[in-house]
Amino acid sequence: MSDPTALLQHTETRYLLCRASDIGEGEARGFGPLAGSRRKIIVLRRNGVLHAWRDACPHYSTGTPMAWKTDAYMNGDKTHLTCHSHHALFDMETGQCILGPCLGQQLTRVNIVVGDEGDVFVAGPTEEI
Amino acid sequence: MNIIGPDYLIFGVDDVAACTEYLTAWGLKPVNVTESGGLFETLDGTGIIVRHKADPTLPPPLPTSNMLRQQVYGVRAAEDLDAIEAELGRDRRVTRLSDGSIEFKDDHGFELKFQVTIRRELDMPAEKINAPGAPAQRRPNEIGVWEEMPALPRTLSHVVLFVPDIEIAARFYCDRLGFVITDVLTGAGPFLRPRANDDHHTLFFIRTPEYMKGCEHLAFHMGGPTELMVAGTRFVKKGYQSFWGPGRHKFGSNWFWYFNSPLGCHFEYDADMDKHDDTWVAREAPMGAEASQIVLFEMREKWAPGGPPPGAKH
Repeated sequence: MSDPTALLQHTETRYLLCRASDIGEGEARGFGPLAGSRRKIIVLRRNGVLHAWRDACPHYSTGTPMAWKTDAYMNGDKTHLTCHSHHALFDMETGQCILGPCLGQQLTRVNIVVGDEGDVFVAGPTEEI
Repeated sequence: MNIIGPDYLIFGVDDVAACTEYLTAWGLKPVNVTESGGLFETLDGTGIIVRHKADPTLPPPLPTSNMLRQQVYGVRAAEDLDAIEAELGRDRRVTRLSDGSIEFKDDHGFELKFQVTIRRELDMPAEKINAPGAPAQRRPNEIGVWEEMPALPRTLSHVVLFVPDIEIAARFYCDRLGFVITDVLTGAGPFLRPRANDDHHTLFFIRTPEYMKGCEHLAFHMGGPTELMVAGTRFVKKGYQSFWGPGRHKFGSNWFWYFNSPLGCHFEYDADMDKHDDTWVAREAPMGAEASQIVLFEMREKWAPGGPPPGAKH
């Protein structure tokens, strides 16, 4: 049986990003940045499944923000997560760059959990986010 | 060959509506723009043309994800077009269009067009400053800033290209088209100006792998650093994404502020660029953060000291 005190502490340190219902199929939105971070977290839904990625294009080592406007993370055809610095296209489910300056590189996945109430939290440590 | 600089940059985009919104918010004026795109012009008539990437009237795309389709250069007179045609016709196909303009490809496959420039002569003051020891530039009671002050792009300034081979690119533009190298960032590439323009650069190359070939950014001259920062601040407040700046470059001395865009490259506001003549000797510095800027800032939300004293009841 789990320690209810430990569960409470864990809940308190979890970061709420959004509600699962906020993200429609094929949509992406940016949240944060979390305290101490410079980059937002992108949450998207593809084939019904939510994925979260650090809003940091791997083209430059520091990572740079990818939208051209608030929440505008997709290419025009809505087929790929896109960095609007140089139009790098990323697979929404794997984070792999398939065309553009960072060809073959990958976005950093942010692990998320969806609570019983439909709230989407960052799971695990957030120091690297 | 009196080449002045870019009149238009033409893009084949995947979302014309997004680009229309973006370019308008940037401060460009839509001219005959429809759902299939059109021209977005600066105050002097230079600007950006967007069409959907499937539009058959566009020049062919680059073999990369870049959306730049053609760079349209302005020259002083029809004789300059004749001179360019004669020079380039020696080793490549040059197409003469019915309006007198000419088209051909550079040695990396970038589509180029040259025309008698469409730019209108501007007659506007630069940003005026007052400083001790110098005559005041603003009259008594003439204020420097106000909330609704205009801050619109005056002209298309320069284009920066990702190219796989700097030597090939520099040789083509210098030897065949008469551009001059003003400075070099080793590890990146050279700044170039055409003969009929004294701006520090209208063209800059950055060495990259073949699969990145395309436009890295394009820039617009503003009336001064204040206009640049006012325009950029307004743009951020509307939700657009800053990429780098505001700051001031070392080579060229121009203020800069770069933004992401739905055209697949960065857009830059620039201001107060150096001018050069043929007596200038190109400098060289290794590419890096120190060499590329004298100062760099990052926008933050407006804030002011003040508020209730500590412990005051609300």
